[in-house]
Amino acid sequence: MSVILSTIVWSPLLFALIALFLPERDDDQRTRVRTVALAGGGVSFFTTTFFAILGQIGLGQGGGLASAYQENHTWFWNFLFQAHYDLVADGITLPLLVVVTTVFGCALFHSWKIHERVRLYVILILLLETAVNGVLCSADFVLFTVFWGMLLVPMYLLIRIWGGDGARRAAAWFAGFHALSLALIIATVVIIVVEAGVQSSDMTADLTTFSRTAETVGFWLSFTAFGIAMAIFPVHTWMLEAQSKASAGVATILSGTMLLLGAYGMMRISLVVFPASAHYYSFAITGLAVVGAFWGSIGALRQDELRRFIGYMNVAQMSLVLLAIGAQTSVALVGAVLLLAGQGLASAMLTLISGAIEERTRTTSIRAMGGLVTQAPRLAGFWLVAAASLIGIPMLAGFTGDFMVFAGSFPEHRIATVLVMASVIVTTGGLLWVANRVFFGPVRDQFARVRDVTLLDLTVLIPLVAAVVLFGVRVGAVVPVIANGVLEITTRITGA
Amino acid sequence: MPADFAHAMTLALLPEAMLAGTALISSLLAVLRPGLRPDIHRWIACIGLVGSLAACALVLLGLRHVRSGVAITMWNGGFVVDSFALFIAILACVTALCTCLISDSAVRNIPSRSSAFYALILVSTAAAEAIAAEREMTTMFVALALLLVCLVALGALVKTNPRGAVSSFEHLIEGSVGLAAVLYGLALLYGVTRSTNLATVAAFVSASPGVIALGVALVIFGLCGIFGVFPLRQWVGRVASTVPASAAGFIVSMSLIAGGAALARVTVARLGPDVGIWRWLLPIVAAVALGHASLSSLKETTVSRLIGQLVSTQAAMLLLGLLAFTTGSRGLPAYGVTAFLSGLGVTAIATVAAFGVLAMLQVAGIGDAIENVRGLGHRSAPAALMLTVSVATLAGIPPLAGFLSRVLVISSAADTHYGWLAVVAVGATVLTVIAAVRFIATLYADAGDEVPFTLGATPLLSRVVAGAACLAGVALVVLIQPLLAVATAGAGTLR
Repeated sequence: MSVILSTIVWSPLLFALIALFLPERDDDQRTRVRTVALAGGGVSFFTTTFFAILGQIGLGQGGGLASAYQENHTWFWNFLFQAHYDLVADGITLPLLVVVTTVFGCALFHSWKIHERVRLYVILILLLETAVNGVLCSADFVLFTVFWGMLLVPMYLLIRIWGGDGARRAAAWFAGFHALSLALIIATVVIIVVEAGVQSSDMTADLTTFSRTAETVGFWLSFTAFGIAMAIFPVHTWMLEAQSKASAGVATILSGTMLLLGAYGMMRISLVVFPASAHYYSFAITGLAVVGAFWGSIGALRQDELRRFIGYMNVAQMSLVLLAIGAQTSVALVGAVLLLAGQGLASAMLTLISGAIEERTRTTSIRAMGGLVTQAPRLAGFWLVAAASLIGIPMLAGFTGDFMVFAGSFPEHRIATVLVMASVIVTTGGLLWVANRVFFGPVRDQFARVRDVTLLDLTVLIPLVAAVVLFGVRVGAVVPVIANGVLEITTRITGA
Repeated sequence: MPADFAHAMTLALLPEAMLAGTALISSLLAVLRPGLRPDIHRWIACIGLVGSLAACALVLLGLRHVRSGVAITMWNGGFVVDSFALFIAILACVTALCTCLISDSAVRNIPSRSSAFYALILVSTAAAEAIAAEREMTTMFVALALLLVCLVALGALVKTNPRGAVSSFEHLIEGSVGLAAVLYGLALLYGVTRSTNLATVAAFVSASPGVIALGVALVIFGLCGIFGVFPLRQWVGRVASTVPASAAGFIVSMSLIAGGAALARVTVARLGPDVGIWRWLLPIVAAVALGHASLSSLKETTVSRLIGQLVSTQAAMLLLGLLAFTTGSRGLPAYGVTAFLSGLGVTAIATVAAFGVLAMLQVAGIGDAIENVRGLGHRSAPAALMLTVSVATLAGIPPLAGFLSRVLVISSAADTHYGWLAVVAVGATVLTVIAAVRFIATLYADAGDEVPFTLGATPLLSRVVAGAACLAGVALVVLIQPLLAVATAGAGTLR
């Protein structure tokens, strides 16, 4: 019996338990703790990459719930509904798993920059990875909710303990919003198991017996819950706070994985379980996408703090995904998954680079920076690669996603698509403007001794660049896999 | 099952008799050999509890082939040993056993009275077992009174400061008010029905609706007080903060178990669906209790009182399960009582775990204020981890068993048209989660100035038992099915 998915989900936790018993009194011991943690993240990453997605690509016809990797055991049955330990990795899950395990791997490499309470740091990251992988692989509503709730405490502590000034407030914002999101998901799951009448919390069951009211309430509850996690307008404030106040490694996880989970949940639950409402309210969803796209892109231009700028960029990027979710065509949804992958990787890169810049310049102000390309050309190069991916330059991860989202959304919501495309121009301008402010222009005296990327920086950034390029160059291999996963959603929507 | 009355009585009362007998032996030994080590009394109590568990197992063995789930019925149905009673009895014994094994710190200050300490634990466990088996209201009242006296005495016995005595007195007063409410309610109902069997109340609802409503309301209010929920729940916080932690854990969890058993017997099994008053009164009590306890948890400044508030919230949450006992929205059987019983099990164990960890901190000289555990993660990682797991379980933080039990209770309530109450419960969960997350952050995020410490002052056995009870919060997520299976059997006989 296959245990690939269990390995992906639980290996970080297993290594966290090992790390728990390791001492951390001196540098050698701390290095050992980090190495063990990295091994945990590595097992998850390599299993995902080599066994899961390459296997699916190799099969050619892979993806789709029926043919994807699955593990199913009955969890409990003496109740109102049956719950299952049901893990599935279909065409939507697999590319996202690759992204999150890559980002977590980089965050664990980044832990070499952490010198205080290293053991707690890596244990919390590994717990978070278990939760994130679990959310992506769960095919049971109760299991999904359990993993979703598991995100709260580790992320809260990571933001609060290792964050800078104002981290306490940022962590409180995160906890408040995430607890609200959890509550809404619990309410959604209760509606599903009570109203669907299938006596099961299986996500793959045919849930077509909702009353109109239950369908509408369930849809909006789940939409709001995942909207919070996705940081869409107007529930994005927590992300801006957390993004700017958390340490660079934690902010990388936040922008590289947490937002992605919200979008994933929206596709997996809001669209699949409540397709009629999703279709009915698609205009409202695209409306939110348009407002969010402009809010994010224009808001970014007004920022002086580098990481808040990236936060606003995330809001803008997530609005593109929201546009695809509103359009609900297979092309747009495939594009959304690609966009999520590209955004996760690029945003993680930008966050790590901004952390490196802040570390070197001792400032977070864009206005105070300038001319860094002379001292740190490689750092500038990495920034430009990430920015190019977000903008949607061909051969990088963001391009195909952007293109497919717009191509798939246009037939359904023409005006909204044009407006969001217009916002992308502003986003592009913003990214180039910030690159110009930070890296180009006259060299400032106070930054004359700024170092370029170190070996550790390269170790963290190169895997992300490789993933960005691979997703851009080999997109033809990934799209069929994603398309098979998306087929499940579009079939439900068409059926409704 | 047993053919004659003598056999039946022996078997039915064997679990309680084992406990009462052991308590007697322990007391006699204390009189005859005053200088005996406290450990001896502890092990005697443990033997009694294991004996009681074995007696329960014996009855369970006989129950295997009985489809009704009722093993023994005595005294015209006034005392019944069924799956429900056995579930409660086993839970009470396990809770008491854990308490005995971690009670080292509680008896350390009162070596000469250790036999009384363990005798009170045994008698109150026997009382809880009897409450679960009683269908006759007069004897149930007597058992409740016995339980209250034992628990109050236990609190007063182990007091380490003057405030402890006052707190026990206040517990006595509050408990007495609750018992008086139960008694007055029963008297009113008896006045109308001429019976102490509450199952007959339904037939008189139309004749004297006002008196019946008042009687039922008083009984419910009184039992809710023992269960540790609004309106008579102040004792939970007081006992938690003034009585040594291992004893406080036992008092709170045993009250929870016995109060829950009494509430379930009275509402679901006796009053049933035909007496409408409790079915609109209990949701209101549950909603107010959820709001009050969860909001209170946000402003607590001591660890013990925070744990007390979380237990109260969890208890109020369990009331939702009692309401969902008839049929669900699609005409299928409701599983509220199953959720109630499994939640009761999780909560009782988590309560013992949380207070067990607190007891270890008390032994290590750590004060009760949340300020004092600031940075505990630096100073003693195992203590911080155990406290985190037990508090998170009580607060309903995923992925622990407390969360799962809340999901089960909330979904069963929503299934039986108590959607609004489910919404309140979800809201209360958010509040308790926030309170617990803030507390956990205090343990790990803030640096404490104090020097590191170990839990070495607590005996290894106590540490292992407290750790195992904490671990149960994780293990019961994976092993929820066996618990649900047993709870379903218990719920089946109750309905």
